[in-house]
Amino acid sequence: MDLSVLERVNWLQQQQMVSPDFFEILGSDGREELKRVESYLGNNNDEMQGFRHYETIDGCISRTSSFQMEQVKNNEENRVIALQPKRKTEGKTEKIENKKKKIKTEDETESSMKGKSNMSNSETSSEIQKRDYIHVRARRGEATDRHSLAERARREKLSKKMKCLQDIVPGCNKVTGKAGMLDEIINYVQSLQQQVEFLSMKLSVLNPELEFHINELSTKQFQACFTDLPEAVSKQPMMVDASSFPLQQHGSLDYSLINSNQTTILSSKDQTSSSWEIHSQCLYNNLRTDSVSSFFSHK
Amino acid sequence: MERQIINKKKRVFSVEPNKIPPSEVFRRKYTSHLVPALKKLNMNKNSPQINQLSVKHEVDMALALSAQEFSWSRFLLQKLSSSNNPTTTSSSSNGIRIQERSGKEGGGDEDGETEEKLRELQKLLPGGEEMNVEEMLSEIGNYIKCLELQTIALKSIVQDTT
Repeated sequence: MDLSVLERVNWLQQQQMVSPDFFEILGSDGREELKRVESYLGNNNDEMQGFRHYETIDGCISRTSSFQMEQVKNNEENRVIALQPKRKTEGKTEKIENKKKKIKTEDETESSMKGKSNMSNSETSSEIQKRDYIHVRARRGEATDRHSLAERARREKLSKKMKCLQDIVPGCNKVTGKAGMLDEIINYVQSLQQQVEFLSMKLSVLNPELEFHINELSTKQFQACFTDLPEAVSKQPMMVDASSFPLQQHGSLDYSLINSNQTTILSSKDQTSSSWEIHSQCLYNNLRTDSVSSFFSHK
Repeated sequence: MERQIINKKKRVFSVEPNKIPPSEVFRRKYTSHLVPALKKLNMNKNSPQINQLSVKHEVDMALALSAQEFSWSRFLLQKLSSSNNPTTTSSSSNGIRIQERSGKEGGGDEDGETEEKLRELQKLLPGGEEMNVEEMLSEIGNYIKCLELQTIALKSIVQDTT
């Protein structure tokens, strides 16, 4: 519901949330000022309506900004500040410090203004979420110009992603700081790639024997499937060509490779996505011990 | 799950595909791509020299085919299918370089260091140099997971054949 500012003020007054002081403060000039502000923003501008209410009463709201609205907002603020006496700015800084939407203050007019702003906050916050603005709240003492806000948003995104990576890469928890973590990640990726290379070399050496063993491979896997399934499936598909595997993949057959430690973890049907972490941890441990020794033995 | 078995003949896909954990899906796809490819390779080529590279090629191809929802895999696929001489995704010289550099930069510029490291990471990821940093970081997570699964699969294949 988009009420115009004055309508909202009137509504509040009816609800007796606004003291009659408010209008005194505004003065009759103030009301005109508000009207002018509204017309400046444009009444028919649907996009900005949500923000308009947010912003016009924004004198005591912390200095939030969004990227699209940057230009208008600055002018807004100037006007709204001009409307109010100096002591209102204290409320503003207070709000900035707390950074919360509901603040209890002793001063009546401040609380009333905040009451209004809370309402507008709650109303417009849903609109804001719909519209997908990058809404960054400025903290006290920090610059609110466009560039530093963009910079800060970007940095927050990066740190969020780094945290996700921290969960994936084992051993990242101990290291603090971006550089250390990045180092760990780089080393981990490199070691994984080297392992793949090494294993593929080994495979190429073993390749002539592969053909003989492929049938064995398939039979072993089918046996693993059979042990998991409650029903007795016939053993005839054992000699099925490897190319027919894709057909059965999507069925209920648990086509898992036999590997000493990992099968117990990986072939269980109760596996949830959280076990990615578990198995990667044990993989890392296994690989750490295995690969080091195997690297040395290979050379 | 039993109903799935009974309906196996009628239905190719499981009733609740989400219940198959993604790691399983990846591994199935991977081995189903790799094993036949290796067999074919074995039958066709006889000279041992080409073998190593082509095996590597097949390994990478299997990786790219089994993880097609990621942008790095699309890049890898493109690279592999376009080039006749298969190139390796990793090189050991990278590792040496990293260690040297971290030794030099003791009290270097912090942001510069981070930037450089991010660039290194970009080089490791296939197609990473063409992405911006945020995208690259999320792709790296997927890439690491798939590499891990790939190593498990390869290990098991190697172990089974020895």
